[in-house]
Amino acid sequence: MPTVYQKKSSVTVAPPIKHSTMGPLTSFAVNPQGIRFETQEREEAVILFLRQHIIVNLGWVFLTIVMFITPSVLFPLLVAALGVVTAVPAGYVVIGTLFWYLGTLGFIIAKFLGWYFNIYIVTNERVVDIDFHYLLYKQFSQAELNRIQDISYSSGGIFATFFNYGNVQIQTAGEMPNLEFDKVPYPERVVESIRNLTSESPSSP
Amino acid sequence: MNTDITVIASLILKILILLGLGVYGVFALIIVRQEHLMAHVLEESFEPVLRLLVYIHLAAAVGIFFLALVIL
Repeated sequence: MPTVYQKKSSVTVAPPIKHSTMGPLTSFAVNPQGIRFETQEREEAVILFLRQHIIVNLGWVFLTIVMFITPSVLFPLLVAALGVVTAVPAGYVVIGTLFWYLGTLGFIIAKFLGWYFNIYIVTNERVVDIDFHYLLYKQFSQAELNRIQDISYSSGGIFATFFNYGNVQIQTAGEMPNLEFDKVPYPERVVESIRNLTSESPSSP
Repeated sequence: MNTDITVIASLILKILILLGLGVYGVFALIIVRQEHLMAHVLEESFEPVLRLLVYIHLAAAVGIFFLALVIL
């Protein structure tokens, strides 16, 4: 329901806030609903939710397809090409094949989790960067909006140009580390959004 | 003599495969644990599906380990 602001002489109806719907493959969402992140405060609202562009997963998806067809297509071709005749017991073939597909499933899960949980969030109070490296190392970085000094983006390469993604660099004041949003979709909209938020936020003490 | 060597080689191969599957089982456990930690960082509607997937992966790893123990 839209908020109604009472003015002295007239009534203004604020435009309704557009909410992006969140799916498992969402990499760019404005005012998303149904998500919460660690350390989010009660009154803190998520303005932008970002992951790396979905196309960055293309490499490992292609590798997964190759891994899937390897036992049934590539191994027999390799054995035929080398002319090797070996009598491997059936039990070893069964376990070997199952282990191979299990490893492929593990590879898919590890890669997907790595992409899915590497997130960038812009709220009405701060900018948050949550990274997981090799499934084991977690890095949580944040910068208050009033600490942001400069923000820029860069984009280059065939894929980045074609699919419109790039890196957003956020420079912060003082000792705080700078943040970088890696390969996020629509970097120009991200920069514009953060810039608008920083101009609205009260200046640093 | 040849039979002895074949039996020993087969036994070593079986132990190595079981060891590999055991190490893989630990990896599957780490993925489960890590998924729990990651889900704590970001609460989202798709997360139960991921949790189910990592548990299926762990169950498959354990299942193949015991299958190898039986049929190898």
